[in-house]
Formats: sequence, C-alpha cells, structure tokens
Amino acid sequence: MSPHTKPKIVGETQRRVDAPGKVTGDTPFGGDLAGPEVLCAGVIRSPHPHCEVKSVSVDAARNRDGVIAVFTDEDIEGTNRHGLIRRDQEVFVTGRARFLGDALGLVVAATPKVLANALEEIEIDYTPLPIIGTMDDALAENAFPIHPEGNVLASQLIRTGDADTALKESDAVIQSTFKTQCVDHAFLDREAGIAYLEEDGMLTIHAAGQWIHEERRLVALALGLPQERVRIIQPATGGAFGGREDISIQIYLGLAVLKLQRPIRIEYSRKESMLARHKRHPIRVHYTLGATSDGQLTAARVKIESDEGAYASTGPAVLRKAVSHCTGPYRVPNIACDGVAVFTNNNPTGAMRGFGACQLALAYETAILELAQRLEIDPVALKRRNLLQDGEGVTTTQKIPVVGALHCMELALERIGWDKRHYETNKPYLRRGYGVSSICFGLGYGDGFPDASRARVRFADDGMLEVLTAGVDFGQGLHTLAGQIAANELGLALNQVRVIASDTLLTPESGSSSATRQTVFTGNAVRLAASEVKRQILDIAAAYTGLHWDDLELRNRMAIGKEDAKICLPLGQAVRLGRERGYSLDVESCYQPRTVAPEAGTGKSPRAFLTYMFASHAAEVLVDIETGEVRVKRIVAVHDVGKAINPQQVEGQIEGGVMQGLGMALMEEVITRDGQMLNANFTDYIIPTIVDTPDIEAVIVEREDPEGPYGARGVGEPALIGTPPAILAAISDAIGTVVNETPATAERVWQAIQRKKAQAI
Amino acid sequence: MTRRQLDIFNRQDQAAIDKTAERVRKTEATWPLRFTVNGKPVEVAVDPEESLYDTLRERLRLTGTKGACLEGECGSCTVLLDGKPVTACLVMAPQVAGRKVTTIEGLAADDRLHAVQESFIAAGAVQCGYCTPGLIVSAAALLEENPQPTADQVREALEGNLCRCTGYTKIIDAVLDASSSGTEDKANAGVD
Amino acid sequence: MYFQPKNLDEALEIKAKLGADGTLLAGGTDLVVGIRKGRTQVSNFIDLSKVAELGELQEQDGFLRIGAATVHRRLESCAHKALADAAATVGGPQIRNLGTVGGQIGTASPAGDVSVALIALNAEVELLSAARGSRRLPLADIFTGPGKTSIADDELIRAVWVPHGRRSEFYKIGKRDAVAISVVMAAASIGPSNDVAIGIGCVAPTPLRCRRAEDHINSHGLDGATINDAAQIVREDVSPIDDHRAGAAYRREMAGTLTKRLLWRLLHSKGG
Repeated sequence: MSPHTKPKIVGETQRRVDAPGKVTGDTPFGGDLAGPEVLCAGVIRSPHPHCEVKSVSVDAARNRDGVIAVFTDEDIEGTNRHGLIRRDQEVFVTGRARFLGDALGLVVAATPKVLANALEEIEIDYTPLPIIGTMDDALAENAFPIHPEGNVLASQLIRTGDADTALKESDAVIQSTFKTQCVDHAFLDREAGIAYLEEDGMLTIHAAGQWIHEERRLVALALGLPQERVRIIQPATGGAFGGREDISIQIYLGLAVLKLQRPIRIEYSRKESMLARHKRHPIRVHYTLGATSDGQLTAARVKIESDEGAYASTGPAVLRKAVSHCTGPYRVPNIACDGVAVFTNNNPTGAMRGFGACQLALAYETAILELAQRLEIDPVALKRRNLLQDGEGVTTTQKIPVVGALHCMELALERIGWDKRHYETNKPYLRRGYGVSSICFGLGYGDGFPDASRARVRFADDGMLEVLTAGVDFGQGLHTLAGQIAANELGLALNQVRVIASDTLLTPESGSSSATRQTVFTGNAVRLAASEVKRQILDIAAAYTGLHWDDLELRNRMAIGKEDAKICLPLGQAVRLGRERGYSLDVESCYQPRTVAPEAGTGKSPRAFLTYMFASHAAEVLVDIETGEVRVKRIVAVHDVGKAINPQQVEGQIEGGVMQGLGMALMEEVITRDGQMLNANFTDYIIPTIVDTPDIEAVIVEREDPEGPYGARGVGEPALIGTPPAILAAISDAIGTVVNETPATAERVWQAIQRKKAQAI
Repeated sequence: MTRRQLDIFNRQDQAAIDKTAERVRKTEATWPLRFTVNGKPVEVAVDPEESLYDTLRERLRLTGTKGACLEGECGSCTVLLDGKPVTACLVMAPQVAGRKVTTIEGLAADDRLHAVQESFIAAGAVQCGYCTPGLIVSAAALLEENPQPTADQVREALEGNLCRCTGYTKIIDAVLDASSSGTEDKANAGVD
Repeated sequence: MYFQPKNLDEALEIKAKLGADGTLLAGGTDLVVGIRKGRTQVSNFIDLSKVAELGELQEQDGFLRIGAATVHRRLESCAHKALADAAATVGGPQIRNLGTVGGQIGTASPAGDVSVALIALNAEVELLSAARGSRRLPLADIFTGPGKTSIADDELIRAVWVPHGRRSEFYKIGKRDAVAISVVMAAASIGPSNDVAIGIGCVAPTPLRCRRAEDHINSHGLDGATINDAAQIVREDVSPIDDHRAGAAYRREMAGTLTKRLLWRLLHSKGG
C-alpha cells in the first residue's frame, strides 16, 4: 500500500483473526480444555418421554469404585429452573419429566469409563404417563395435559384488511398445505467444557453458548448465587446455529464445582447432544391465497401449527416470527394469519437459523407456485408483479425503506441463465428443473423486546487498539468484523487491533449472537465506540499540530494533515500525549435501537424489526423420476447485504447457509416415534457432504441500509431461508407437481410422481 | 455449606478424591503401547479398549484431533495411519502398535504452515474451525498421493469429512489452491 | 481381555479357545461403533491387525482371491465394476482405509454394499478353523439373518473368491450422495454364457440373491421383456420393512426399478 492510500478495511476481505490457531489445531474448544486430571460429570436423563419420577436410586452408582459423587435436585440451592423466555424447565426434574432429555441428576467420576458404567447403574422408579407424540394427539379432545395450563403454549395472529371478503371476491383461490420437518442444528463441536473456582471464589465456567451474560443470569438464578460470583468464558465454539441458545452444560458444571470445590469437565456424546438439545420447530401451514385473474395477490389466510415439544424454549418468539413473515416479500393487502404453538413430548423446539421464517418461506413460495399453476401464469411473472418495492409494507404493515426483493430476484434469474435454461439430460429417466425463491427476514429480536449491544474500544499500553465485545463468535466471523470496524475508524490495519471477547468479567454485554443481529448491533456499537476514540485522538493531534481536528485524518498509524501530509503525529505518540493529558482513550458505547411491540388484536407493528434483509435463490436440479433421487446442480444465492464488511466472510455465510438449506430441503429430519428420537446419530441424521455440494454462486448486492454500520445488514439466517423453497420449486418444475413436505427425500419425490401419475389416469 | 465446613471438606476430602481418581486411572491403563506420533516415538500406558482418538487426546494431550460423532461418520478425527487417512475414533489403541500416526499437530514443519493450512486461511475455508483439522489432514493426504487433483477428486477425497458451516465451496477452492502452490514449491526445490 | 495374535495360526488357536466369546476385530468400523452405542458387548477382543496373511490380494485359479482383511479402499480399483463401485460407496476414504471385506461379510448387514456386490458376482467365501482346516462355499449361502451367519464359532473368514469373466453393475440409493447407509441397493452381473446373477440389499433380513428372477432370465434370455419380468419377480420376492430410512413399499418398488436399470445396463454393454 502506498503511504497515501487511504486504508479501506471495511469492505475488504481480511483474513479471519481466529483462522491461524484453527488450522494448526492449537485453538482449544470446550472439549480440549482439560485432560484426564479433571473429574468428569455426566447427566442422568429421564427413562421415559412422559412420566412422574418417584425416586432416583443412586446408591449402586455411588458405591462404584471411582464414582466421586452423585447429585440430584436436593443439592440445588437456587431456583432449579431455566428457560429462555419462560423459566419453565427444571435443572433436575422434581416430579414430571416431559421428554427424554429431561435431567434427573448428575454423576461425577474419576474417568469417562467409570462415569458411563455408573450412569447405567442408576435406577429410576417412575409412573409412565400417556406419551403425546404429535400435535394432533396434543390438540385432541381430552388430551392428557403436558403442562398444568394444557397443551397450547401460545397463539399469535395477524389481521390486516379483510381477508375473508377479499378471498370471496378473488378470481382465483388456491389452498395449499406445507409440512416442514424437525431439524437438528448438527453443529460439530459437541457440548463440552470445564468449570472451576477461582481463588476469590468466582465460579468460572468455560462453555459455549450464544449469549454469555444471559447464561450467567441463568446459572446464578438456578444455583442461587449472586451474578457477580459467576463468570462465563466462551471457548472457541464449533458452530451454533441457534442450538446453543438454550442452556446446556453450564448449570451442571456449576453445581458440581460448587459441591466438590474442584474443577469438573463435561462432554456430551453426539447422541446425548441430539437427545438433550432443542430443535427446529416442525410446522404445518395451511395456506389460502387469492388473486385477481391477472395475477394481483388479494388476500392470504394462513393457519400455522407449530410443534413446541416439551418446553417453551424460544417457541413464542419463533411463532411470532413465523406469523410476522407469513407473506414474506409479497404485497398482500388482506391477511388473516393464526398461529398456535403446541406442546408435545418431543424435544423442545426453539431457535435455529431461520427461526420460523424459513418454514413459512416454504409455505408461501409453494402457495405462489400453485397459484401460478391455477392462473396459468409464469411463476416468475407472478412474483415480479407482487414483490414489494422500496417503501412498501411487509406482513406486519411495517414500511421498509430499501427493499431489494425484485433486484435480487432479477439478478438470481440472470446468473442462473433463466432465459436460456434448457431441459436436456443424458438419461431417459432424468428430468431437469429450475426454481427461484424470494424471501425476507427481519433482523434483531424486534417487537419491542429490549435489544442492545455494547462494545468497548481502547488503546492498550503496547499501542494495540483493543476491542472488547461479549458477542459470541461460533464461526460466523463476528470478532473479525468487530476488529475490522474498529481498525477502519482509526485508520489501522487489522493486525494492529486485538479483539478481546466473550468473557463476562472483561467484556460488556453485547446480547446474543442470534437473530442475524450482531453485524448491525455489535457492528454499530463498535463503530460508535471507535469513532469516539478517534475523536479523542484527533483532539490530541489538533492540540499538538495546531490544525483544526477536522483538517486531520487517521491513516498509517498517524494523525495526518489532510492538506499537508507533512504535518503529522504518530499514533503511539498521540496515545502517550493523551494519557498525560487525561484522555481516556477508552470508550464504551451502546447501540439500542427501538422496535415496537405488536398491536393487540392485529399483530401489526410500524416497526416490528429494526430492518429487513431481502434475498433470492435460484436452483437447478436433476430428478431421477424412477427413483425420486434429486441432485442439486447449481444454486445462485443473491443477498442484499447493504454493505459487505468482509466480502469473503459474507460469501462464506451464504455458502454455508445454502448447504444447511439444501440439507433441510432434501435430507435432514429428526425422526421421532412416541417421544423417542430414532436417529440421534450422524449415521441416520444425515447432513450434506462435500459431494452433495452443488456449484454455489454467492452474489452480494449492496443497497445500503439506513440502520446498519456502513449500511450493512446481517446475512446469517437469510442465507439458509432462500434455498429450500428454490430447490422445491426446481423439483416441482422437473416433475410437474409440487412436493409439499420437507425433506423432499427420494421416497417423497417418488410418491409425488406416483400421485401425479394416478391423477392423470 | 459454611466456609468452615468447606475448609474441612477441602483438606480431608480433596486428598481422598485425588487418591481414588489416581488409582482408578492407573487401573484402566494396563496396556503398554509403543508407536510413533508426528515422527516421535512414544510409549504410553493405555486402556486396551480405548480408541486411538482417546489415546491422542487424553493421554498425549494432542487435542487438535477433534471428534464430532465418535462413530466414524464425521471425519473430524482424521489422522494419518502409516500415511493413510483413517478416523481415529474407530481405531483401537493397540492396533497402532509399531505404526506411524500423523496428526494435525504434525503437519506444520519448523514453524512453517503446511500449504493446505496456508490456503485454508487465505481462501476463507475456516469458519467455526471444528472440522478444519480433519479436513486439512485428509487434504494433505490427497495432495501427497495426487499433487494436482481435479475438483471432483478433491470432493471424493474429502467426502468423509463433514463441515456444517462453510458450505464446502471455499474448502474445495483452498485444496485446489494448495495443490498448485505445492507444485510451484516442488518446482523451485528442483531448481535449487 | 485383549488378544493380539501375530499370525494366522495364533489367531485360529485363540479363536478356537474362546469360541463365541472371542470377538474378531479387523477394521473396527462396525464393531467399535457397536461398542460405543452399547449395541455390542465384547468380553474378548481378537485383534487381527498384526495377521499379515489376511491382507493378501491375489489372482488364483481364475479367481480374484481377496484376503479377509483387505480394506475397501484397495477394492475400489479392482476389475469387477460392481465390487469396485460398491467398495467406493462404503463410508469416506477414512472408513475405506479401515473397513475390511471380511468384516463386512462377518457383520452380515442386509445393508452391506460390498456383500451385495459379491453375491451378485457369484463369489465364494473361504472359512478356516484350527480343527477342520478350510472350507469354501457360496457367499450367498452363509447369511442367515440380520447380523447372523453360518460361520462356526471357531472359524474365521480367510478370503473371498471372485470368479473372473463376469461383467457387473452396482447402484445404490442413499439419503445423500456420499457416506450414506443404503436405502436400497442392488448389483447384477452377467457371465460368459450370458447367465445373470442379481443381489439386492436392504429389502430382506439378509443381502438377498434373487434366484427366481435369475432363473427366469437364464431360461428365457436377456431382453426387454424378460428384464421387466425379472423386475416384477424381484418385487414379489423381497420382504422389506418400514423403518426410519424408508418405507417398505418404496423399497419393494425400488428393488424392481434397480433390477431393471442394472439389467438394461448389462444388456446395453453386452459385448462392448
């Protein structure tokens, strides 16, 4: 770089700050932190998906050589409760167990082998209760209540205009149903971590979550400790995707450490990870969509039923997201949407990338396809006519200033070669198909929920700029992004910035790494703090050089006169001068935008979410019509990210989201019978491999967002949401009928083909 | 417990726990195992029923080898056994007696990263990083056998390594990048 | 207990002594998983990793003789297409570098890709015991149920013999394109006298040899009509189950579809 080139770190691909330690294996993850010298703990789980636990006999286990202790609810001095929205889960159940992952106690042993044997010796006396395995069972008349209040967790609605009348007056009305499956996050790094007491009595827990300050609150409450006595440190974390939002091992670790006054480690097996963790909601959507004869959408009536599993988790928020995204990026003037979340004895369902919006995207995109068939209009033409434009309102009536929907779709069509698409194949039983999806996603918690991020930026004595954020980086690249923004503000290179992250003792609360919020929230907080540090430096330099601060700029580790580059002050000297003169050079900032809670009775909100991201994915597939096998050949994924702060990371997020979307579209499914998960392993819970990966083109659109830092929007969740409907549309194009259930396994695609054949006869 | 009770507990019981734990650990490790790890001969007492994964991580504290499933499905624990990639979780420790094992820690030489490690960083093939060591070991084995693979050969060689974050695209790029730079290195070495 | 015999004689001796209580360990790709899942209890391991003789791969008397400890990775390049293709679909390279052909036969899974290919290639299995020496029998005959074979408690699998001169094809439906347990899979071969052999997996308690369909073609010749008949016979003769991987109806239908597809491939490549 020439000395006069302005550093432009934001908008430039920079190497991730965490990559070097990860390629050598040096970076410790939760399971790498302790060796055999540390005692290991394991969880006693419910013997039945729905039962009253009468007693837990621990004597045999306790007497086994090498077992150090066994703890049950009697050992817990706090509330013994957790849960993100409602504190409705017991750490150790005291009466009713509602799914197989419910915990009854904890065994601590000298070695993993002893632990495994001891856990098998625990005898549990229980009375089985009826297992509510499906939503239909739960909603049946006189169904056995899973919770005292019954089997309905929550309901949500949207009422805009008059959908009933508008549907009656519509020229064409289709009714479409879509059923999505239960999906597992399948992050690779199993829940694992260690905890110990510091000299000063601080309970210190190294375990991966998504919001360390909330985890600190949950641990403190459950165990009856003041928050100040709990410290959570996030180790390197191998993926999350929403799967680390609910608490996992933190409370168990804390309990054992408090009781035994020594370090403890816990590591779940893959099976335990899958059996104990919450999942993505399986959702059933009944969609009625109306239009005029020339394809203007008139009204939607949408009924959403969501399988909550045994506990609330983030279910109420997921349901609201589903409802508030029920018409996606389309202009639908009349909407009547009703959603209900239903308890069952399956795994609790909660946060997962897409969070209710991805299930609804499949529903509205399938409805649009069916409507196009009914109207005999090209689906793309139908979409063009009905996609929102800048300034128009989404489902909740919130008006969005920058709507990239149409722009993204046109680009997706162009890149996949829509107008030149061909249908030839080299086998008589292969059919080619193309599909395109349009989706939108509201960023942040939204709906008036308190949502803020704090960041601290300071100069350290060694001259490095330090960025402190509690925000969790589980692979998405937040820490690199935070470093880039701070570096950009102060005219530094990324290697002149040190990111200190995710430690409740050292770093200010940044909220959760979820809801596609950190780019906007922590990005803005870092920018605010860094720009204030910059103001201080410019003040110091102005006093030193005699120039007005506005006539100075920061680059190449110097404050330099804009007009005359010979007038300059090296940054190190400015920091020293500043210290002498009492400047803090240490600023904490908070970004806390306002959103508005939904209106009672209509669910409308003028600002349900801070901002929206729009995206469009196009897919090309080959379908074997004799076996139903689907091979995805190409995906083009276009996202209006506003501003790509690190283009390579944005591409990486999109490519990863596409492959999780492909998994959801074609193969992933948690299969449960009577509350028993039948595929709690990677042999039968199938996620895509490198061989399943199509040619993916990630296309970045940058129509700046008024809210985001440098105009940036987050991309995490939308990256997944667009892919399943694009693939399903392509399959439909290939076989001439829709598949209205995910995953579209070979068997289901084959069945759809058989149904179509039967109808034709 | 009061502070005083805790102190008593600490002094008496902590020593007893240490003693028990130490004894039980020794009872399990009955099998003397000799093999070579990353070029160095090691001798370690193992439980004959443990896997190479456990030996590497627990006994030798080489924790760069990861394990997402421990059932041979994810490839996170890929190591080279006599130069060939295998899942360490499915190898019983005694089976490696007298053999050579290379882990992710053994790929970088003299503080210089392996070409695949470099290219993973540059291509953005690392996100959460949990699958990364296994993928790099598999890719290094491929390039050893086939210095200039096609994209399809890269896919075939890495089909046993799951990644949940990246969508694999940049991983394929990284391995192809490493293959060409590896060739250049060799060409240069030839000139020298 | 953990035994690590140094050669074949030692292995046979230990196996004879321990009988059913001695569990043979070769690649470990099934056994170790079974132990981890609590599906398999092992009182004594007989680790075959040091028995070099079992890893031999050689041409002998018009057969390819595959030592029982030959890993799948080595079979990927063998001349029998169905066997090579089947071997290449077993797990990823890491598994194929560990898993052995003898291990696959010994575990007797109805989803054993390599077993199905071998059946369809008219392979024979050579068994060995300290007391009775060796015996050779058609591979298809040793499977008696899921995880069950007629191999005696004091025997071990010495080798598999695959006759030369047969063209073969393999096709697998899994839930994804790599490292997937089969939903249905099939293999077929045709010999020098135009005799066909058909093997199907995941549609019966054992890897299934479809004799009735073969007989039909072998007595009426291989053509479009007999292929359709054979597919129908296969659909009738399989006995698939509903499970979390697929439904019985789909498996039954696919058994026929794959039979048809493979036989057409053999017909088209005839003489080519």
